[in-house]
Amino acid sequence: MRTLLLSLLSASTAFAQGELSAPLVKADLSKPDPAAAVWKSAPAPLSVSLMGQPMVTPRPEATTTSELKVQAVHDGTRVAFRLTWKDDGVDEAGVLGTFSDAAALQFPVGNSDTPPPVMMGGKDQPVHIFHWRAQYQRDAEKGKPTPKDLYPNLNVDMYPMEFHDMGSLGRKPDDNRDQFSPGRATGNPQAYSKTGVDEIIAEGFSTSSVQEGHGSAGKATWANGEWSLVITRPLKSEGGSVLNPGGKSFVAFAVWQGGKKEVGSRKCLTMAWTPLSLGK
Amino acid sequence: MSVKNWQLKRDMDYPYPEARPKKQWAIVFDLNKCIACQTCTLACKTTWTSARGQEYMFWNNVETKPYGGYPLAWDLRVLEKLGRQDWAKNGSYAGKTIFEAAPPSERAVHFNPTDEDWMYPNVGEDDCAGGPVGAGGAAMSALPHDKWFFYLPRTCAHCTYPACLAACPRKAIYKRAEDGIVLIDQSRCKGYGECVRACPYKKSMYNPYTRVSEKCVGCYPAVEQGIQPQCVVNCIGKIRVMGFINPPWAARDDNPVDYLVHKKGLALPYYPQLGLEPNIYYIPPIHADREYLAQMFGPRVDDAIKAYQGIARDKTAQALMVLMGSTDRIIHRFAAEKDQAVAFNEVGTEIARVPITEPVIDRPAFDERLGAVRNNTP
Repeated sequence: MRTLLLSLLSASTAFAQGELSAPLVKADLSKPDPAAAVWKSAPAPLSVSLMGQPMVTPRPEATTTSELKVQAVHDGTRVAFRLTWKDDGVDEAGVLGTFSDAAALQFPVGNSDTPPPVMMGGKDQPVHIFHWRAQYQRDAEKGKPTPKDLYPNLNVDMYPMEFHDMGSLGRKPDDNRDQFSPGRATGNPQAYSKTGVDEIIAEGFSTSSVQEGHGSAGKATWANGEWSLVITRPLKSEGGSVLNPGGKSFVAFAVWQGGKKEVGSRKCLTMAWTPLSLGK
Repeated sequence: MSVKNWQLKRDMDYPYPEARPKKQWAIVFDLNKCIACQTCTLACKTTWTSARGQEYMFWNNVETKPYGGYPLAWDLRVLEKLGRQDWAKNGSYAGKTIFEAAPPSERAVHFNPTDEDWMYPNVGEDDCAGGPVGAGGAAMSALPHDKWFFYLPRTCAHCTYPACLAACPRKAIYKRAEDGIVLIDQSRCKGYGECVRACPYKKSMYNPYTRVSEKCVGCYPAVEQGIQPQCVVNCIGKIRVMGFINPPWAARDDNPVDYLVHKKGLALPYYPQLGLEPNIYYIPPIHADREYLAQMFGPRVDDAIKAYQGIARDKTAQALMVLMGSTDRIIHRFAAEKDQAVAFNEVGTEIARVPITEPVIDRPAFDERLGAVRNNTP
């Protein structure tokens, strides 16, 4: 408890965040591109402070990502955010015991003056999260890795239900293929190839639930010890966060450094909402 | 929260309140009989973990103690984080459990295995301990052997206080009220691997293909039909029995697991000091180093070995020992009737009847009646 209080005290410096404005631009924001020209003319990046998630265990012992630089623009139908943060290397997870670099944007569902609790929302106060992972981006770019991709020296005689000739069983090889892969058989979105960004609705810690994509996309590049990530999303999404040109809302941020074994609740995040205003 | 842990003879900290299931799945293993044939391992493997991403998984494994471990040195690497693990004179645990030793940022003190740690499932097989081989010749050259080792078959212990469940930030792990089996919800798990980190027995495993974690399911589809798990019914050495254990205050002498654990004190939980109240129990090997056994099985290990050595004079205990492996049904009640051991299912129907002592039949090499020499060639 003492540690928690100390964490909160040191968090007070992280509470005050500037306002993020997303001007209306004439650009194609459907394809996320961290190097696009639009970011050169966009307002200078806003610096937001992050700290190690202090509220629930398990949590990081130290703040690994303390600063995030953010820009935002919208084109009347989509809004895009460009995030940069320092990270020593690229971590895409894969083999056992490895974790992926990741970042997330969080918006309130519903636009009231008082946003939901900043950490994952609360009961009946949902938040809409756009979660990018390097691992998911790898899926989108190179295909979801097979065990053979992860372990090149792997040798397996055969997998059940993957025989070329099912003989008297008479089934097509694809039938029941996932029967022995419970994650896939139960339809867990985690077990299928990803497009880069997961859309998540949450009503508090441990409630996050991946939704069918509403057309968001993400693309990041890593160079010189820094990730540059663009997440683009439609302004309006049914059942999710709705942003209006000329209107105001809030946004919050989180970053995971896979190389430091951060995943799930082991993350660095903003301790307060950043006010977001959209240009007309 | 404070919960009662009868294996520690005291209350302990746990993130959730005490909620004992109606019945608690349990397996008892007689380590004196295990020969590490790995039939259990393969029975489990072919039943549950033959798909992509499960190549390395052994929900049931058999390792050679003291050196073997899957993953590598899983036990030593968590024990070393607990500090002193003393037991008080009255049998209560005076040290800290993994929950009590956890730093403020964690739910359980743990070690996080790397990829390589999982890659040597049978390292140390048949390696003996007890001093340098060079000093006394080969370990097997003298009788009695001055070196020791034993085989330790392991499944998930479907703990009363699972660390995997405690550590899951998504609450995707649950313990079933009907049989105490601990399961990972495969549709909710996001593969954070917190259960892999937190389970001190390392029986939660990450599937890098489905990107969710998996674990021994206690063969619940069989258990629901009154049948023992695959690793139990396929054990060719008949060293195992699966049943339902009661806490000591509700123990029944005619329940096979209660009898072995509570009534006779023959079978002991392994690494009880970790604080999970694990529900796999071992009859300790009589020939291994006692200090090592005490570290693994707690302070009652000498009594357990003494009780085991007295089985020859105990017909009830013998009856139960011969029922192990004599039926694939779950034995809820057993009895010794004259020279026979009898097992009953949950509703009291007889499911197995075997002689307590197999009759000895002397078959001379020369058959007088047929005037022929018998031989063993089929």
